[in-house]
Amino acid sequence: MAFLEVDHVDRVFPLPNGAKYIALSNIELKIQRGEFISLIGHSGCGKSTLLNMIAGLDRPTAGGIVLEGRQATRPGPDRMVVFQNYSLLPWLTVRQNISLAVDKVLSTLPKGERRGIVEHHIDMVGLRNAADKKPKELSGGMKQRVAIARALAIRPKVLLLDEPFGALDALTRGNLQEQLMAICEESQMTCVMVTHDVDEALLLSDRVVMMTNGPEAHIGQILEVPIPRPRRRMEVVNHPSYYALRSEIVYFLNQQKREKKRKSVQKVAIARHGLEKINLEIGFVPLTDCAPLVVAKEKGFFARHGLEEVNLSREPSWKAIAEGVATKRLDGAMMVAGMPLAMTLGFGNKVPLPMTTAIVLSRNGNAITLDDRLYEAGVQNLDDLKAAIDCTPDKVHTLGVVHSTSMHNLMLRYWLATSSIDPDQDVSLAVIPPAQMVANLIANNIDGYCAGEPWNSRAVYENLGFVIATDLDIWPGHPEKVLGVREEWANEYPETHLALVKALLEACEYCDDRRNREEILELLCQPQYVGSAPEYTRPGFIDPYTCVHGEEPRILLRFNQFYVDQTNCPRQTESLWILTQLARWGITPFPRNWIEVLERTHRLDIYREATRQLGLPTAEPDRDPFQLFDGKIFNPDDPIGYLNSFEIHRPLKIEEIILDAIEKATP
Amino acid sequence: MTATAGRRLPAFDIATFFRRNSRRIIAPVVALFIALVIWQIFSSVTQSLPGPIQVIQETWDPWIICPFFVGDESFGLNGLQGGDVGLGWQTIASLIRVAIGYSLASIIGIIVGVIIGISPLLYQAVDPMFQVLRTVPPLAWLPIALAIFKDSGPAGIFIIFVTAIWPIIYNTAVGVQQMPQDYKNVAKVLRLSGKEYFFSILLPSIVPYMFTGLKLGIGLAWLAIVAAEMLRGDTGIGFYIWNAYNSGALSEVILALVYIGLVGFMLDKLVGFAATLVSSDK
Repeated sequence: MAFLEVDHVDRVFPLPNGAKYIALSNIELKIQRGEFISLIGHSGCGKSTLLNMIAGLDRPTAGGIVLEGRQATRPGPDRMVVFQNYSLLPWLTVRQNISLAVDKVLSTLPKGERRGIVEHHIDMVGLRNAADKKPKELSGGMKQRVAIARALAIRPKVLLLDEPFGALDALTRGNLQEQLMAICEESQMTCVMVTHDVDEALLLSDRVVMMTNGPEAHIGQILEVPIPRPRRRMEVVNHPSYYALRSEIVYFLNQQKREKKRKSVQKVAIARHGLEKINLEIGFVPLTDCAPLVVAKEKGFFARHGLEEVNLSREPSWKAIAEGVATKRLDGAMMVAGMPLAMTLGFGNKVPLPMTTAIVLSRNGNAITLDDRLYEAGVQNLDDLKAAIDCTPDKVHTLGVVHSTSMHNLMLRYWLATSSIDPDQDVSLAVIPPAQMVANLIANNIDGYCAGEPWNSRAVYENLGFVIATDLDIWPGHPEKVLGVREEWANEYPETHLALVKALLEACEYCDDRRNREEILELLCQPQYVGSAPEYTRPGFIDPYTCVHGEEPRILLRFNQFYVDQTNCPRQTESLWILTQLARWGITPFPRNWIEVLERTHRLDIYREATRQLGLPTAEPDRDPFQLFDGKIFNPDDPIGYLNSFEIHRPLKIEEIILDAIEKATP
Repeated sequence: MTATAGRRLPAFDIATFFRRNSRRIIAPVVALFIALVIWQIFSSVTQSLPGPIQVIQETWDPWIICPFFVGDESFGLNGLQGGDVGLGWQTIASLIRVAIGYSLASIIGIIVGVIIGISPLLYQAVDPMFQVLRTVPPLAWLPIALAIFKDSGPAGIFIIFVTAIWPIIYNTAVGVQQMPQDYKNVAKVLRLSGKEYFFSILLPSIVPYMFTGLKLGIGLAWLAIVAAEMLRGDTGIGFYIWNAYNSGALSEVILALVYIGLVGFMLDKLVGFAATLVSSDK
């Protein structure tokens, strides 16, 4: 049983005009003894209301607060609050303020012992010299320390903190955070803290509870902070997962902000030119291979096909893309190739959401970058890496990937596993948005990463890392980015979908004409798109590709492939390979009905219709077996046999995925 | 700077003090001198009022040099009744009356203020009535006070009481209403009992508001006493003025005015000083 439970709490405020304002809706939270929980959210999300209800200062409209199995209905010293504005009594000295609480709450103790407790807590927060001063003579930080001392002195079961350090300067805040952390660890206090400071939440908490905006605010997501204790303020940032966690929270908050904006301007579909919807929100991630989208927009391919109001939405991470499409904020998006498949299968404990794709936007364009220190240690190829990992068993090598369903993740794992490096046991893989890879490499949070351009060339250009392999070395011509839309969306707007595919096909053709590449580079380097410096965006895209700083560049003409060699055809056999790898690493189960899944997620009919209307050559995709760099044959008629033939894999799950039931479940 | 250090008197050095405050001293003295000169000119032109020189000449002995003389020793202090005693005694008589009325007003005003401050219902109920009563001038209460008490002594006290009580009630009530929610939350979380709440949270938190009311109250009380004594009195500084006027001793009237002004000023400062002692932390 949970120590403290917020049991399905609603809070409804009656408005003067007789209406009701639902501030909080169905808050459900179980807190263990000794846990430190942060509530984070935008102002007005009801996080302070929730804290007040836990304290008993406010009553829930429905549901209840249960502490150690008993419902708490009124305030009491077992749930002591450290208020936002300290709430010290100004006419009492520091000592008197603490004594007032101690004398009242611990009145059963003899007087001498109570005195001892007061003095102990004055010392604990380092206010010996100010013990006889009144609050107005103290600085904000000192006042907050008094408030904390007062709260701790009465030995509450739960300590509730309402933005305790909000009004303090950075230095004082840091010191107080460390003090609070030390005290909580020492006394195994259960804490709930309201904050709007992401770093504070990460530093102090075991779990961060993220609240959505009101009205009807609820818990949007709960994030575990797996950083070991004791934590040090200056050191937590070096934990490999720190920046991923941080960007997760920041992303959540930003998304809530956008959601608020979106609610104020609700978009309606504009139908025109025989299309159901010409105002589209298309998501992209700043990478060189977002070029087809940028070209389609800037060179008027969207407009030529009647899509007059296409807005390209720059998203911070692949996770944001997946959520944007799932929540219908985005009509469609450039996705990593495995994402529509994994979303359809319901990866990451999400409800399966049928997705579909009718065009591959690019092939290749990735590379594996490792830290320069590994190069200096003599690592030049995969076998060297294996040796380097083997001879430093104490060091955890962390590699960054951009999303668990991306080709980067799957190919990096495949590549490592061919050399018997278990990607989950011999190294640690962290999910980090592509644009943050270089920063994490500089901070030594990761030892390398697999990502798209320009983020590899940037590390090479700045002499931070070297490219050990490009995907031309692993699987030349693999599908990389696809256009992903919800199946429901594709069925609702079939003509729009077709127009979108046609516009992107033309844009892809334009991108692969090397005469246009200089112009496209200029577009990409604009801040609203990739915003990178041309020097490190050129390699691979226009210039020969430099793998190691200062070495002779290699001419890789197919490094960014947008059109040639049937780039754009969504081939089911390639996706089947992706399904095997998703299952191999336990990301999704392998669908027993994989033929049905592939049929539904690949709209070849739309691709054929688009090429036919544009007068482009249509080539039927072949079903031949193919192989990656290690020569292992993948026979698309026996995916399960292929899957079982790997030495390194996670436990395999093969399940029937019933897509129609999913459709009915999510109307 | 700590509160104790603030109250400690520094070693007094006239020369330094004067150098530091020369402007604050010289400017009022010069202004006073100019005012006296204008008054002197005005009185010598109109001949209706004694000028400052004449006032001092006429009242120097015994009124100025001996504020506590007693005219007829055989009467003792009962000589107050006849007005033939020093201005100091008259002032003390007025002050005693003010002290009684004002103390009653303070006690009852604070109690009523706390009650209507706590209960919004009561506040709404009595507020219109109090607002009307508040504007009634002190002298208008006199006939009623005389009808009730049949004696000028208690009547005077009643007028002081009824004049001084309103600002005390209202400021106390506002203090209670304005009490920060934080303090109430602290009391709730600590589960303070009613008595503990009243004495350790409510009362200390309203002290600053209370003293604003008390300061306004003492000013009004002092205004009322003079008026009350002038109309129906046998002792006190108001009575003295009226008596002097009836005897045609305008110089004495003017001297009494100066007394009244100075005493009122000092009373105000006294309450202000008391406030700083009690609520030195706000």
